[in-house]
Amino acid sequence: MNLVLVGIIGIVILLLVLFFLGMPVGFAMAVVGFLGFCYVVSFKAALSMIGADLWFTFSKYGLTVIPLFVFMGYLAFSAGIAERLYNAAYKWMGHWPGGLAIATIGADELFAAICGSNTATAATMGAVALPQMKKYNYDTRLSSGTVVTGGTLGTVMPPSVVIIVIGLQTEQSIAKLFLGGILPAILLGILFVLTILIICRFNPEFGPPGPKTTFKEKIKSLSGVIEAITIFILVIGGLFIGLFTPTEAGAVGVFCTFIVAIATRRLTWNGLINSIKETLKISCMVFVLVTGAIIFGRFLAVTRITFIVADFAAALPVSPYVILAFILLIYLIGGCIMDALGFLVLTIPIFFPLGIALGFDPVWYSIILTMVTTLGAITPPVGVNIYVVKALAPEIAIGRIFKSVSFFLMACIVSIILLIIFPQIVLFIPEMLH
Amino acid sequence: MELLDKISRVLNEIFVWIAGFFLIVMILLTSANIFLRLVWMPVKGTFELMGFFGAIVTALALGYTQIKRGHIGIDILVNKFSAKAQRILNGANYLICMIFFSLAGWQVAKWATTLWQTGEVTETLRIIFYPFTYGVALGCIILSFVLLVDFLKMLIQKQEPHK
Repeated sequence: MNLVLVGIIGIVILLLVLFFLGMPVGFAMAVVGFLGFCYVVSFKAALSMIGADLWFTFSKYGLTVIPLFVFMGYLAFSAGIAERLYNAAYKWMGHWPGGLAIATIGADELFAAICGSNTATAATMGAVALPQMKKYNYDTRLSSGTVVTGGTLGTVMPPSVVIIVIGLQTEQSIAKLFLGGILPAILLGILFVLTILIICRFNPEFGPPGPKTTFKEKIKSLSGVIEAITIFILVIGGLFIGLFTPTEAGAVGVFCTFIVAIATRRLTWNGLINSIKETLKISCMVFVLVTGAIIFGRFLAVTRITFIVADFAAALPVSPYVILAFILLIYLIGGCIMDALGFLVLTIPIFFPLGIALGFDPVWYSIILTMVTTLGAITPPVGVNIYVVKALAPEIAIGRIFKSVSFFLMACIVSIILLIIFPQIVLFIPEMLH
Repeated sequence: MELLDKISRVLNEIFVWIAGFFLIVMILLTSANIFLRLVWMPVKGTFELMGFFGAIVTALALGYTQIKRGHIGIDILVNKFSAKAQRILNGANYLICMIFFSLAGWQVAKWATTLWQTGEVTETLRIIFYPFTYGVALGCIILSFVLLVDFLKMLIQKQEPHK
């Protein structure tokens, strides 16, 4: 049988296994990749391949960055850093129309700088900000959407688990990718704030101004920001000047966050144990995803389907940006039907070589994929952040949260368009690394 | 069945504590390496030890992650099926994954045995590393065991209405 046809059948079987068996994405990719390799090469070679890939992937130094950054995020979560960030942002911006929602985005931006997960960012900030916004009679169509979409900053702002996974899968410098995510995350935050201001301009009752605070209170609240900024500067600054490898940066981040947690006496024994267990669970899930993608990638490589698709797309008589728009649309739809990280890992073996064949800068293309992946976390029916907010505030109808998110989706789309028009927003800081 | 389930939970609880211990060691080792590199000289072999510890951290958490349903999947379509169809599909899912991870564990163990017999050592520290490879094999086997327990639970659940 033609190898390309075998590759296509493999992809179809993978989708069937994913949708009809509900098999976890990492397992499904590994199983289908193994069976495909058996068919194309041999059973013996496939057995050796899974043994070797499991050991070499699990023991890869580069992958150790994942548990460290995940642990840093969970420690920050357990240590109540988010509360102090929100408190500071609230003191400075709470008295503006929609100020509490803007404060949520500001605190999200800072918390994202020490936490690499959108779900953890949404859960942490939701727990802090939703009761406050409820207290000041914020309309849930503004408050819920702010928390849901603000969480996406955790994916774009370094350190981000999604960026780490892209870096590991495509063998790019994680430091460069981290630096590439800084300005897009700030841009996204600004667009979210503009969205809030526009909403409150037309619907002032959605975000009534909170109480005014004195200058002294404002200055005092900054102590809660300094610790997060210090950790961010140490971690990302150390990476930028080449003082640390990404794994070392993760360890430094954990160490500093732990010191802050101890100094502020917020970390309990149970909090620490839960942080470790959650870290192990998330890291294991990501390792299995990456290993599954590597095994599936081996099968695709022997069928040469990825190269053929890339060559075919590159030879099409249309602008690469038309193909990019098509890829982004697939990610948008994919993010709606399955977990965004799972979809990303699943599609990287095909779409990354395709983007490179089209002549896109790998760092820029990776950040664009990260941005569009974040949309998957906030779009129905499987937008995980939506369910995080629903769990935190069960009284808010899910339809109301969807409506609230729809206001912010435009900001996400505009930010992706701006990054496509002005790639320097992504590339400016990484190019300074040269 | 309850006994098997209990054994699975206790074993994975023990393994997750061992994995947690190695996670803390990873942080301390890296922090010590950075500090000593700045003031004196780096800790020899940090790079290779971190890889091995990372392997243990992840492999020993495989079963725990499955118990906690931490692996992401797509249940959007499966949830629409009848309860009976869901049970059959889940059973098939567990069985296939169990066979796959048994094979994977066997292969990694085979690889570890080769490393042991050939006396393979690491490049920097010149120490044996096959125990870590056996650790990854153990993680895969434990995951298979958890999947077997899940499969058996599914079978029993299926038979319940006939009782």
